[in-house]
Amino acid sequence: MIPKNSTHQASFRDPSGYMFHDGTTLRRAVNPIYFPQYEKLKSSGFFDTVIKKGLLIPHEETSVSEEQIILTPEPIPFITQPYEWSFEQYKHAALLTLQIHKYALSKGFILKDATSYNVTFHKGKAVFIDTLSFDFYEENTPWRAYKQFITHFFGPLILAKYHGTDIFKMMQTHIDGIPVKLIASLLPKKTKFSSTLFTNIHLLAKMESKHSEDYKAETKVAKLSRKAQNNILDSLFGYIKDLKVNEATEWGNYYDKTNYDSESFQAKKGLIREWVMDLKAKNLIDVGGNDGTFARTVSDQLEHVMVTDIDPNAVEYNYYQTKQNKETNMLPFVCDVLQPAPGIGFNNTERSSLIQRLKEYAPDVTMALALIHHVTLSGNVPFEKSAEFFAKFAGHLIIEFPKREDSWVTSLLVRKREFINHFDFYNQDGFEQGYQNYFDIVKSQPIAGTQRVLYLMKRKTA
Amino acid sequence: MSNFSVILLYFDPGLGAMIVQGLVAAAAGILLFSKNVMYKVKSFFGIAPKEEDTFDSIDIEDDETQENDSKK
Repeated sequence: MIPKNSTHQASFRDPSGYMFHDGTTLRRAVNPIYFPQYEKLKSSGFFDTVIKKGLLIPHEETSVSEEQIILTPEPIPFITQPYEWSFEQYKHAALLTLQIHKYALSKGFILKDATSYNVTFHKGKAVFIDTLSFDFYEENTPWRAYKQFITHFFGPLILAKYHGTDIFKMMQTHIDGIPVKLIASLLPKKTKFSSTLFTNIHLLAKMESKHSEDYKAETKVAKLSRKAQNNILDSLFGYIKDLKVNEATEWGNYYDKTNYDSESFQAKKGLIREWVMDLKAKNLIDVGGNDGTFARTVSDQLEHVMVTDIDPNAVEYNYYQTKQNKETNMLPFVCDVLQPAPGIGFNNTERSSLIQRLKEYAPDVTMALALIHHVTLSGNVPFEKSAEFFAKFAGHLIIEFPKREDSWVTSLLVRKREFINHFDFYNQDGFEQGYQNYFDIVKSQPIAGTQRVLYLMKRKTA
Repeated sequence: MSNFSVILLYFDPGLGAMIVQGLVAAAAGILLFSKNVMYKVKSFFGIAPKEEDTFDSIDIEDDETQENDSKK
């Protein structure tokens, strides 16, 4: 029997089974209530096909008994949450969900729930991770996860189209998806003239509030033919596929705007590669890593690489490159260092905080290039505090310190106007002192042709 | 409970959301039909756009030799 305290914190909503930690391995238990579905999904070849097509995370059957079937899914190094995705990532997660449901429908199954937490990014692409999300299709029944699909996927994507991808952060405050009424109220009036948006959002919102107190209505069973359901899926798929977001882009010319020439750019790349290889690191996170340019100088040496940035366009471009280059070890996601994703949901542990996930990921190397001046001068975070943040998960830290003479720093300082004296602490000594509370400085090296110094630090053992 | 009965829902699908699907499907049907007609007209004149995204189609081929995703 599995001790209850080892069950995964997010795994309690579905009575079909649950995830649990068996030592360091994450496994999935299937309860007897789900045995008929599981057997059919397996014997019909459904699992085989969707796994082979790369839609569903592969799993092995570890043990079978009358009380429980234990599955061991392929390990995923890091789970990103919907509010950490770029637009294209969010879109692909939505399209994958529709694909998998439509395929299930053709085989006599359905996706019984369509939350965005059932999808994550692994080996460079979106993958469905909830193996027990399938159920039998009953002829002429509507899709009961339809509303979930709207509140978790379609709504957020449409809102992002009109308001930017910051809207995805609303998923942090609405773990069950953005309420349909709220989606409808945030959309411009003109969306009522689109037949897809009118029916899937505005009409849905109206019907929902009309029937919200109709508790006895369970006898009134709504009917929907399989063909009609396929029409809904096809039209949503087509609509989402063509969705585009209009946000000012920075990534395209970011490295043209930086203040160092290509020679120092190469020098920095060379140093990073040398240091990371010396450490024989297996996994790395580049915090504030833009489109992954610097992480890619070493990614061929690593099993897994993550690049986060506050700019969703940089993450978007990184994701685009990952797909173009068919990279399987690169995971881009959106993160604001000054406000990392919190733990949300029941007990605040259902979806764990970014820091918690990073602790578990335990990167061998953490990189923070061209970041500290923004954190310190724009975010007003003292050196000691930012060091404390990195020390929570970073064994080794490669951090770049731009001196006061650096043009970026100068411009940030000038913006402080009459408070500029409050930032006298921003200098190399102050930086080293602050970081030495948590790290030992292994080496430091000025980057040729710049006013910047690259440091390699090792976390102090407590 | 028979072997093939469906597990009772552990979340509320929303009655409104179940009823509305008939109307959504009707609107989608009309839209898809007209798109299809437009596509055929455009193909006839050779101006239909070619699609080559990894998510170009919702349909998964049963053909086991072909990976859905070319990125692998």
